[in-house]
Parts: sequence; structure tokens; C-alpha cells
Amino acid sequence: MDTLKINYKSIYYPPGGILMWIIIFLELITFGMALVAFVYYGIENATVFHESRMQLNTAFGATNTIFLLTSGFFMANAVHLFKENEVKKSSVFFKLAMLGGFLFLALKSVEYYHKIESGISLDTNMFYTFYWLLTGFHVIHVIMGLVILGWTNYGMKKKNSDTTVEDVEACAAFWHMCDLIWLLLFPTLYLFF
Amino acid sequence: MKNSLILVFTLLLIITITTTCIVNSFSVSAFIAPVIMVLAAVKFLLVAFQFMELKKAHSFWKISLIITLGLLVILIIGIK
Repeated sequence: MDTLKINYKSIYYPPGGILMWIIIFLELITFGMALVAFVYYGIENATVFHESRMQLNTAFGATNTIFLLTSGFFMANAVHLFKENEVKKSSVFFKLAMLGGFLFLALKSVEYYHKIESGISLDTNMFYTFYWLLTGFHVIHVIMGLVILGWTNYGMKKKNSDTTVEDVEACAAFWHMCDLIWLLLFPTLYLFF
Repeated sequence: MKNSLILVFTLLLIITITTTCIVNSFSVSAFIAPVIMVLAAVKFLLVAFQFMELKKAHSFWKISLIITLGLLVILIIGIK
């Protein structure tokens, strides 16, 4: 394993890497602007947005927040342990982080199933157009994150692994980005109107 | 496990549960909406600075993230 010290205080080396942070900023701005548009249309169609919001299951949203936060907590510990050269323990925390992601997807699937069963689709109203697009894009990010986590975890366990601290940090940064996006989506979609 | 991470995680859980309880207890009003967004912003910063270790990064990254988040929250609260 690469044990070179990374100078995080350099503007070029934020934890996770400069490219990952550029992606994180672009994603936050994209989702953020969509949320601003969501609130703007929500004011224009206050009754529709309130009635639609009341149809969402707040308990599902809050539980999914807890799943992602728990997963992020395990991920942060996995990075910490990897830096300490505790690769086996780090791998266990990687798997726990992935479990949080799978639980999130499972509960999201149940939520989507209920919505589809009730006949709620993308063109039901403006609220649900935003709901499906925003949560759908977020789910795609979570699936991609799980693939990256699985791949990195597989790579770091191999004999003569060339997985570096930078690789693990970049992978963790992507996973935490899914957390960050959800932390903005959950209150705005599930609680705001 | 690092104690600081456990502490931050506990705080995140408390804020999440508190936010949900506030919304379930009171109807969303002009007062509650900003509270919800500010609590979300606090969680966001805890994850970014503690879990993503942004606290170790150059000030440019810290300030940029705070400004981006601040603008978003102000826009959302302002429109609401």
C-alpha cells in the first residue's frame, strides 16, 4: 500500500482528490438549482404541492436518511482504518457501508412500488415530476456508488494490491456525495410543503 | 472506531430525528421551513467536514463549499 503522506493543505489535494471535488461541486449545483426550481413552482402551486407532499411517507424518507448517514459513518471509519494499514478491518467497514446503500435502495424500491401501484407517475403533477426525476437521479448515483465501493473493496483485498489511500478516499468522497445530495433532497421533498 | 466520528454520527441522528419530529408536530409554516433548511445545512456541513475530512483541506475548498451551500439555502428559504 502507498504510504506517502498526502499534503491535504495544498489547494490541489483535497481529501478525495481535486477531480472528485470538482464533480461534487457540479453535482451539488445541479441538484441545488433543481431544488430551487422545485420550491419556486411549489409557491405557484401551493395546494397541489402540499397535497402531494402529504402523500409521501415521511417515515420512509427519515429511515432512508438514517441508512445513508450510517453508511457514511462506516465509510469514514473504513478510510480511517485503511490509512492505519488495517486493510481487513477496513474491508469489513466497506461491506457495512455497502449494506447501508442496499438497504436504502430496498426501501426506495418499496416506496416507488407504492407510488406506481397508486397510479402516481412522472406526469401526475409538477410535484411528482420533480419527485421522480430528483430521487431517480439520486438512486442512479447510489447504484454507481455501490459499484465503485464494491470494485475498490475487491481491489484492496487482493494480494499485492495497488490500491492507494487516494483511491479509497476518492471512492469514499463519491459515496459521501450521495449522502450530501440526499441531505438536501429529503427536507425539501418530504418536509417542506 | 474514532470517537470523533461516533460523536458526529450521534449528532447527525439526533438532528434527523428532531427535524422529522418538528415537522410531524407542527404544520410547515414560514417559521418552520427555515428551521428545517438550517438543520439540513448543519448535517450537510458535519458530513462534509468530518466524514469527508474537508476540515483538513485548503481553505479554498472549505469556503467554496460553505458559500455554495449558503447560497442554496438562502435561495430556497427566500423563495419559500
